[in-house]
Amino acid sequence: MTILGDGTMDTKIQNSNIAILDAESHLESRNVHVWFKDRHVLSDVSLQFPTNSVTALIGPSGCGKSTFIRTLNRMHELIPGAGLAGTVYLDNEDIYAPGVDPVSIRLRVGMVFQKPNPFPTMTIKGNVLAGLRLNNRRIKDEESLVESCLNRASIWSEVKDRLDAPAGSLSGGQQQRLCIARSLAMSPEVLLMDEPCSALDPGSTRRIEETIRELSADMTVVIVTHNMQQAQRVSDQTAFFLAEEGEPGHVVEFGATGSLFSAPNDPRTEDYVNGRFG
Amino acid sequence: MNTRQVAKGDRAFFAISTAAAIFTMLLVLVVLIFLSVKSWSTFTEQGISFVTGSTWDNTTETGTFQIGPMIVGTIVVSILGLIIAVPASIAVAFFIEFVAPPRLARIATSLVDLLAALPSVVVGIWGIFVLSPVAATWSLSLSNTLSFIPIFRNEFSNAEGAPFIAAWTIAVMIIPIITSVSREVMGRVDKDLISAAIALGSTSFSTMRRIIVPNAKSGILGGILLGLGRALGETVAIFFVLNLVFEINLFQILEPKGGNVASLIIAKFGEATPAELNALMAAGVVLFILTLIVNMIATSIVQRAERRMAS
Amino acid sequence: MSESKLQLLDRPSDATPWSKRSPNFSLIIGLASIFPILLFLVVLNISELSGAGALLTVFLPLQLLAAAIAAIVTRGRRGVADSQLSVFVYFATFFVVIMLGSILVSIASWGLKAVSPHFIYQNNVYITPTTSLDYGGAGHALVGSLLVVGLATLIAVPLGLSVAVYLTETRGRLKGPVRFLAQSMSGLPSIVAGLFVYAVFIATGTANLSGWLGSLALALLMLPTVVRMAEEVLKLVPGDLRSAALALGAPQRRAFFQVIMPTAKAGLITAVLLGVARVVGETAPLILTTRLMSETSFNPFSGDLATLPTFIFSNLTAGFDTGRSRAWAAAFLLLAVVGLIFGATRALTSQKAK
Repeated sequence: MTILGDGTMDTKIQNSNIAILDAESHLESRNVHVWFKDRHVLSDVSLQFPTNSVTALIGPSGCGKSTFIRTLNRMHELIPGAGLAGTVYLDNEDIYAPGVDPVSIRLRVGMVFQKPNPFPTMTIKGNVLAGLRLNNRRIKDEESLVESCLNRASIWSEVKDRLDAPAGSLSGGQQQRLCIARSLAMSPEVLLMDEPCSALDPGSTRRIEETIRELSADMTVVIVTHNMQQAQRVSDQTAFFLAEEGEPGHVVEFGATGSLFSAPNDPRTEDYVNGRFG
Repeated sequence: MNTRQVAKGDRAFFAISTAAAIFTMLLVLVVLIFLSVKSWSTFTEQGISFVTGSTWDNTTETGTFQIGPMIVGTIVVSILGLIIAVPASIAVAFFIEFVAPPRLARIATSLVDLLAALPSVVVGIWGIFVLSPVAATWSLSLSNTLSFIPIFRNEFSNAEGAPFIAAWTIAVMIIPIITSVSREVMGRVDKDLISAAIALGSTSFSTMRRIIVPNAKSGILGGILLGLGRALGETVAIFFVLNLVFEINLFQILEPKGGNVASLIIAKFGEATPAELNALMAAGVVLFILTLIVNMIATSIVQRAERRMAS
Repeated sequence: MSESKLQLLDRPSDATPWSKRSPNFSLIIGLASIFPILLFLVVLNISELSGAGALLTVFLPLQLLAAAIAAIVTRGRRGVADSQLSVFVYFATFFVVIMLGSILVSIASWGLKAVSPHFIYQNNVYITPTTSLDYGGAGHALVGSLLVVGLATLIAVPLGLSVAVYLTETRGRLKGPVRFLAQSMSGLPSIVAGLFVYAVFIATGTANLSGWLGSLALALLMLPTVVRMAEEVLKLVPGDLRSAALALGAPQRRAFFQVIMPTAKAGLITAVLLGVARVVGETAPLILTTRLMSETSFNPFSGDLATLPTFIFSNLTAGFDTGRSRAWAAAFLLLAVVGLIFGATRALTSQKAK
């Protein structure tokens, strides 16, 4: 908690929880099941992500939380053998309805991956503008877009003098923030983050967490994390995923972050958040 | 005593491998030197016109041996072959790597590798009996409809034996080679980058153009140059499908007037006079240098790409 | 608060919502695929264009246009480039499959017409290009090819393996140049290899045209393939294994022969087989270095020797129908040999994968 300075953040989250959960959800999964080939890996996930909220998905490895997050921007279907049942609503529209172009969904729902993956053949600036280039979009003021995206990803001051350097020259933490900036350039409504800090040092982790808090002012964030302190620091609501022996992964408990951690309803949640397994 | 024996054994082991390595390295030089020595008389007697002139006459005592049209023809056919083969190969590589279902992709990969080893005499027999008659009809419809474009003009009544047809034969031979290399380097492009692009809302075309091709560029280029090297040195298949004419033909690709250094050697070798034999050796030297340059460029590009991929 | 165990559900048949299409979408795609083909068939019938010509000038542009329109209707402007890419990729793949398939099919159909048991074991004595196919065969050429290629393998493999050892097991300073020149040699035109052997041995009067000269030329062509493949295979042997053997006090040569080589065995055999596949059909160097005959010879070291490629070549150039049939049949045999070699490499690599 010391990283964020004091407990005010926690209070703020808890105060805002009730309001957020009542708000109409921006993104929502309803009865989502996932199969890989014939293996049932995720069962009946129904979660609501209110506008401008931050939701943490926690749980031990292999519980399906990374699989779930990929169903939210239709990246899931690119895995060979993938199967899905249930619906995902973005602004009350089913993103899996026939005739919906997955590209249009991915433009609205951005994603940051576990491993930093900047494009090595492009410069730092080129990476920030990569989404625009990939979509053949032209904008008038590229410079200011690059600056604002890098700024919001809190990496501007470190790279402003070498925007034309290859992206591979950055450190791991910088690369990940560059990847965030790259997603921001498309101004997504939702940002999915799949364990964005798992490969990073504490300093970079802290800056990314700050970034997440700032981003939630104008977008909905869903973050998969292994780190329970991180979930508590950044999120408004938390879903605890679990896959026990011979069971598909599923949501054990979903609720406001503060109450889920301080007074869990399910004994398994309690065991997990107190570090007894996982 | 014991350790010394061990060291001795190892020394012999290393000495043998080093000797083999140096021998192999020198082999290229040895080949070049031997052929150059044998053909020295041709180079001195014929001078620069050996590669620029267009006369081949073995009836006089020293003879006049000039292979200009053969060099031009070799290059024309190879480049035409590349024009056909490169887009097709990259498309097939893309199909195998990104479109085909995994099982089909595995079968296609094996088949492409097998076809890359297709003997040229087999392609030759197919080229002369199956491809030539069909490609001749393509050629005639081109010259009938597009003869206002100079390169599609054909003053002759037949179309077989033209560079156009040889180019198709070459294309068929090098498509598996270029496809095999391109598929491999496309497959080695980091899947995370492709995911990242798709997550940014990239379409398949953009992903291909902005992510896959830039990352696999040097490998594909190396594959193309390998194909070019093979095309330049191809002998038997071209021998069957191309008319060798001692007249420089740069643009009339539909007319049955072609040239090819390697095929010339096969065609003239059987009944060559001693001076003519030396001239054929000289032609071999020219061909060797041509392909060596292409292959050295290809090798350095591929090696650099491999180092970059590894790092 | 313990619950009953969560059920593992069977995958429903419609678990891929992304492959569902709305009826409109299917209609548009259907129209976009049928129209170009119909128009193409009509044009083919009423005009004098050849099949391939019409395919290229009528079908391809029409299909590209139809796909673009379908893409705009279903996905908007950003779908256009994708549609053009997929039309082009499918078209090119189809074309390549037709071309390469045509080679395999024609070799098989023409070859099987002429191939018979006696064609595989009889030789060509008393046979002229016009003799009926009921007599004679390419058995002598098959034997000759095996001898020449076998001898080439005996030369190229120890040499190539030694070079690969130099590149992977030693700290030699010439690795870079050796690798570079060995790879550059892989583009050596086969006819130049033949000319080289001719210049060294025959033109100087050291030897007469005979099988072993052909083997030398083939060995030269095989060497780069063996070096490169063997190097790649040896590089895959984990460094730990090497260190472990050396830590046991084994001298480097024993570590190599008793630990590294057995580990890489399947890969090394594959390297050799690919080298063989590369040269078994080489024709040009054998035309320059051997003389075809119609009898069977088991001696590659002196005298004439028939090989499959030169047998095909001479039957083709002779220009008679039965000669051609023999050439097709021999090409079929040659392709079968190459296919067998490849089958063997596939079996080896899949075994290794297990």
